[in-house]
Amino acid sequence: MVKEVAWREIRTRARTKSFKWITGILVAAAVAGPVIATLVPDNVTEELREVTIGLVGVDQGVEDQILAFTKGGLDVTFQDLSGLSSAGVEQALSDDDVDLVLEPGPTLVWDRAKDYEVAAAVYAVLQQQELLVKGRALGLDQGDITELLTPAAVEERFANEADASEGVTIFVSFLGLMAAFMLPQIFGQLTLMSVVEEKSTRVIEVLLNHLRPRTLLMGKVLGVGALAVLQLVVVVSGLTAALMLTDFVEIPPSVWRFVPVILVSILGGLAIYNTLFALLGSLISRQEDASQVMMPVFIPLMAGFFVGQVAITGNAESVLVRALTLFPLTAPMLLPLRVARDAIAPWEVALTLTLLAFGVWLLVRIAGRVYEFTLLHTGSRIGWGQLVRLSRGATLD
Amino acid sequence: MTDGLRVTGLHKRFGDIEALRGIDLEVPRGQLVGFLGPNGAGKTTTMRGVLGLVAMDAGKVSWDGRPMTEDDRHHIGYMPQERGLYPRMMVHEHIAYMGRLAGLDRAAADKRAHQWAERVGLADRGGDLIQELSTGNQQRVQLAVALVHEPALLILDEPFAGLDPVAVATLSEVMEEQVARNASVVFSSHQLELVQDLAEHVTIVAAGETQATGTVTELRGRSPVRHFEVHWAAETPDWSPPNGSRRDAPPRTSRFVVPADTDAAVLIADAATYGDVAAVSFEPPGLDEVFLELVGQ
Repeated sequence: MVKEVAWREIRTRARTKSFKWITGILVAAAVAGPVIATLVPDNVTEELREVTIGLVGVDQGVEDQILAFTKGGLDVTFQDLSGLSSAGVEQALSDDDVDLVLEPGPTLVWDRAKDYEVAAAVYAVLQQQELLVKGRALGLDQGDITELLTPAAVEERFANEADASEGVTIFVSFLGLMAAFMLPQIFGQLTLMSVVEEKSTRVIEVLLNHLRPRTLLMGKVLGVGALAVLQLVVVVSGLTAALMLTDFVEIPPSVWRFVPVILVSILGGLAIYNTLFALLGSLISRQEDASQVMMPVFIPLMAGFFVGQVAITGNAESVLVRALTLFPLTAPMLLPLRVARDAIAPWEVALTLTLLAFGVWLLVRIAGRVYEFTLLHTGSRIGWGQLVRLSRGATLD
Repeated sequence: MTDGLRVTGLHKRFGDIEALRGIDLEVPRGQLVGFLGPNGAGKTTTMRGVLGLVAMDAGKVSWDGRPMTEDDRHHIGYMPQERGLYPRMMVHEHIAYMGRLAGLDRAAADKRAHQWAERVGLADRGGDLIQELSTGNQQRVQLAVALVHEPALLILDEPFAGLDPVAVATLSEVMEEQVARNASVVFSSHQLELVQDLAEHVTIVAAGETQATGTVTELRGRSPVRHFEVHWAAETPDWSPPNGSRRDAPPRTSRFVVPADTDAAVLIADAATYGDVAAVSFEPPGLDEVFLELVGQ
């Protein structure tokens, strides 16, 4: 029976225009993001700065040496100005035909300001030429000169070494946080509206002729949850395919390590919030009362989201983050990003998942109990006091 | 021991309101029982009690001579007073879904959904959404939903409310068909003429208590009064029975309400001394009057 109820939820919700449109838009955005991002850097960031150097009576070998020094940093072209007078050279600089002129001497002629990046390359070339000339004058053979000109082997290191996968890790953590924050909200409200619809249309009376309230609750939570997972899978598949096809970023293997934790957390979040929303839906009979009754649920959702945002790049091991990770209503948002950041011990992961599972079980039990008495209640909203009494085993008058 | 539904001494209190104060109801198999009472008498609460939707404070609900179980309740077809359907489900899909919930396998539920959609006159609307149907057609779907699993007990709360004459005829036929296949059928209605035509047995409740139960003929016969009507061959003479009260009547007709123990032959003989009597009738009151007598309105 749970399967029948769940399947009905999936079928009827999945064929609504709103679900199709939202899923379509999300998939389009997921695919378009990497595609557009791949196109933009090709046109902007990989373009080298163009520099034109005017040469007056300089050896051909200098050009090759300058090109070797500036390779990958500057797009250098040369212009032979040997036939020009000094005024003509200056005019070429003023007209921006060239950025600098290399004259015999050697002399560098600039227009107004000196371009230090270009100057460094030209100085290095001229320095080498000077060393070559002086080396020969001192009677050094070619082997000694080559040895002399061999650059020093310099090693480099960074105090805070940038991990190539860090950006992707942060991005995936953020996606997980967003999914754990948004999906329970969207699909939880869908669950609540579904319960209210059954109450307001009185179809609940016919359903309860054949079903236990708990069966109905489980079917609804599972059905709407499955729909959320379906939408997530479709969108993430689109995003992954787009990333792989465009080679926009390479997905580091470390990401796949915490993707299962994200999925488990999202499933746990959907289970606990869908149950909570269903329970709250049973307290009201009109959709107009929905916003009032849903309000308390947004407190843990918002808390988890904001603390999670800070923890993505900030301290993921603060007391607050650690405490909220253990709390079942905020765990789905915080657990994945702490795993992604390697800021959680294995025992904490196990404890968090155990508490989450226990929270779901407990809430389903309470909701099932309350559901029996609230589903057929019509008229005014059932108050929080009555809800507490019902959850403790009392009955409604 | 009775085959079918037997409800005895149902009590239910909602806060300060004592909704049921001892309801008895019997719906044997193969019988159509009218369950009558004014608004607030406890009919719907009783039906919900039978369905297990409302826990009773006291009383017994038994089926085929033993306490009704949850499994027995799967064999109940229920049509609530305020119709309950999913607006965004399709007609065929909805009927089949309810069949599945009632325990039919997928193939059987699909087959029955087609059969019942056709039986209630919605064969060509199977793919339409419920919300696209008229109120009358939605009620037809509701009936199909209640019957798709061929229940042993059919509970219909105000099934005729808002139906057009064609739909009333269809529903009446369907109810009689269910009785013919040995189902127990109980329905509530304020259309007493319809109840009198359809139901052999009725139970009348008021203020949470069963006031009377029996066949329509028995209940009418239990009335303390009779309707005595004389059709005169000529002008209406100035005659009235010694212990009767006059009622409005058309020309050349006299109508009186007399005590049930009145000797009709004596009355006829007395009337004949005043004028030429063409025809007489001496009958218990109709179900509507019996109902009003019992519920005190």
